[in-house]
Amino acid sequence: MQPINRYAASAPTSPAPACLTRRALVGAAALVGLGGCAVFPDAGADSASDGVDPNRTVTIAMSPESEPAAGFDPLVSWGCGEHVHEPLIQSTLVVTDDAMNVTCDLATEFLCSDDGLVWTFTIRDDAVFSDGEPCTAEDVAFTVDRVAHGDTSQADLSMVDAAVALDDRTVELRLSRPHNALLYTLAVLGIVPAHAYGDGYGSAPIGSGRYLLERWDRGQQVVLTANPGYYGAAPAMERVVVVFMEEDAALAAVRAGEVDLAYTSPVRASEDVAGYELVAYDTVDSRGISLPTGPAGGTKVVDGDVAYDAGNAVTSDVAVRRAMVTGVDRAALIDEVLNGYGTVAYSVGDGMPWSSDDMRVECDAGAARRMLEEAGWLLGSDGVRARDGLRASIDLWYTAGDSARQAIAHAFADQMSELGIEVCPRGASWDEIYLHQYASPVLWGWGSNAPIEVYELHHSKGWGNYACYESDAVDAWLDAALAQPELTDSYDLWKRAMWDGTEGVAPQGAATWCWLANVDHLYWKREGLDVAEQKPHPHGHGWSVVNNVDRWSWA
Amino acid sequence: MPRADLPAAEGSLHVLPADTRRFCAPRARLLAFCAAIAVVMVSGAVLYDSAISTDFAAAYLAPCWEHPFGTDWMGRDMLARTVSGLAVSLAVALVAAAATSVVALLLALVAALGGSWADAAVAWLTDLVLGIPHIILLILISYALGRGAAGVLVGLALTHWPALSRVLRAELVELRSRPYMACSRALGVSRLSLALRHGLPAILPQYLVGLVLLLPHAVLHEASITFLGFGLSPEQPAIGVILSEAMGYLSSGSWWLAVFPGLALLAAVLAFERAAASLRALVLPAEVRR
Repeated sequence: MQPINRYAASAPTSPAPACLTRRALVGAAALVGLGGCAVFPDAGADSASDGVDPNRTVTIAMSPESEPAAGFDPLVSWGCGEHVHEPLIQSTLVVTDDAMNVTCDLATEFLCSDDGLVWTFTIRDDAVFSDGEPCTAEDVAFTVDRVAHGDTSQADLSMVDAAVALDDRTVELRLSRPHNALLYTLAVLGIVPAHAYGDGYGSAPIGSGRYLLERWDRGQQVVLTANPGYYGAAPAMERVVVVFMEEDAALAAVRAGEVDLAYTSPVRASEDVAGYELVAYDTVDSRGISLPTGPAGGTKVVDGDVAYDAGNAVTSDVAVRRAMVTGVDRAALIDEVLNGYGTVAYSVGDGMPWSSDDMRVECDAGAARRMLEEAGWLLGSDGVRARDGLRASIDLWYTAGDSARQAIAHAFADQMSELGIEVCPRGASWDEIYLHQYASPVLWGWGSNAPIEVYELHHSKGWGNYACYESDAVDAWLDAALAQPELTDSYDLWKRAMWDGTEGVAPQGAATWCWLANVDHLYWKREGLDVAEQKPHPHGHGWSVVNNVDRWSWA
Repeated sequence: MPRADLPAAEGSLHVLPADTRRFCAPRARLLAFCAAIAVVMVSGAVLYDSAISTDFAAAYLAPCWEHPFGTDWMGRDMLARTVSGLAVSLAVALVAAAATSVVALLLALVAALGGSWADAAVAWLTDLVLGIPHIILLILISYALGRGAAGVLVGLALTHWPALSRVLRAELVELRSRPYMACSRALGVSRLSLALRHGLPAILPQYLVGLVLLLPHAVLHEASITFLGFGLSPEQPAIGVILSEAMGYLSSGSWWLAVFPGLALLAAVLAFERAAASLRALVLPAEVRR
């Protein structure tokens, strides 16, 4: 609740009539309902400062985890970190459109050599940083080079050998191996100024993007204002205020009419708040379970010298994995756990141009039981199947603090017990889960608007290959997909990696992951706010909702 | 720790002439308390399965006939969870209190009968542990031991002894000055045998009362540390787990998730206090009368 007080107090207050008509009514209604909610000062005060039209202002409540710890620094995590989104303050070489096609932004055109190893970008000549300096190919080369070879960045551009500015407007990226998916990374990598980058950049970023960072009160709020020097169309929303609040505080702020858009979860979705509507945005924020494919007792060495236990006696049998993938009733699970706010998931990212229909599988508990019977897993007196004295019992690790994942794990366990497979949910911190990541099934959250995770989760050398699955055929398809100079040519190859007719990670193949649900991202949205077309949100319930905030409008 | 204003003490003052009544009331209370613990432990074990079984069709039910304490967001019966949680918390507390009281006893014996050097060392250790807030020390120890029941047990055992240890040491120091102790010493009886033959029996009543008084501390601290996420794992229906889970649902109106388990915890702690008072009236009648 603090942030509200703080930003309201910090802004000069001169109530604007237009603002009152829209907000004060709702606010007054909420105040009556809450019995005089003193913690929330009169709404609208925040938006009325220095002549910004309240109809071109929006206030959004995000979770405290959405606040970038290292600031708005693309060379660390802003935009292109674990949770990807458009960086807003900086501009990107390319962007993805509503249909997930890659189009130009800072670049006016880009070309790839036939061998897939050299990408050439031509930069527009009217891009200017907020300090007045032009944004040139030099800055692009600097940014890409620092991400590729620095040690602070969460983004993976390790395939870039060298980023070279050929002249002011041309930059060449030389790759060590073909990797067309780098375009998706470039679509969220903000270009920083080579001349002004240094310590403290994260808290006072200089960019050439749609917005400027007006102020950032750590732990409380971020205020963005439209960048008057932006080369593209002027943002329709002039000021964007993001406040960081816990979920129940966000709901209280909605009830008080203090915010225009606030994140929430299925738990609180049954509330009814006057003046607001609950909106659910489709996501590729998938929840899935990795099923280790190797026999128990193995070892997997990563990062050169870190050895982990690998393999699982039960899930190493492909019949068990197929039975789990086939026997789980995803729709029921979504109804039970997510109150219906989700869509069934069959892969790490469904509905993308590269998503394969072969990953789909009809729920059929009878077929699942038959698979287990045929593989020799027979029901014991305790209701759990066993084969050669080995009980079909597995641990399922999940992050203890996440009640939705806990519920998914338990609901999955309930469904599996119907098939005769005992699943023991084990809540723990990530530190502890990582110790078991190659030896036990783990409930993960994934999903980005890029096929990179398709590669990393299924390639034998991928960093996300928690199933420890190794197939030359799948590797070959994945490598071929990455090597296409034209992205559109790669879509079919991604699909074949899932199932090429004889082999793959699809349910009828190795069934290495059991995908369950794409979790809708829920928000309370003030009536009258139009948030334009939203791309499917990636993993991370936060900044991706404001990817297109420059196109939002008030009715 | 000595308290003169206990209800049991007042009661026994009133009925001083009637010896039988003086002993019966505390004894009955103590028996009732032990029976209650046994009932909670047994029903906790019996209800354990239903405390962890989920039924998503019956999630978020307010208290009703079938679920007197309601159900949580996974449809788990809160009555079963509360009773099982209390049983888990009590079991942890009993073991931890027993362990920490043994630590206290040993250190008190060493301090009082082991010579001035040993006394100084124990006093230093006591000050050290008392100087760090319990909960921080508990978190450190539990975290270092990988959390879980073992971490909590060791943490509680290593942090709760100072208060009891000081009381016992004071009793022993007073005992040491008695003439018969001086005689034994002069006759060449060893320190160890003095401690075992005269020291232990003399402080047994104080020890027992102190042990019971440790229980509410242990229960509360186990619940706190688990509530903070450094204790028992979330699969175990412990009171701390239940309360911390309930936090997320209070603002959406599911009051029953926190109220009943919270009341159960409160009742358990109060019961321990009363039991300690009753025990005190039984084993330390002289002090109670004073």
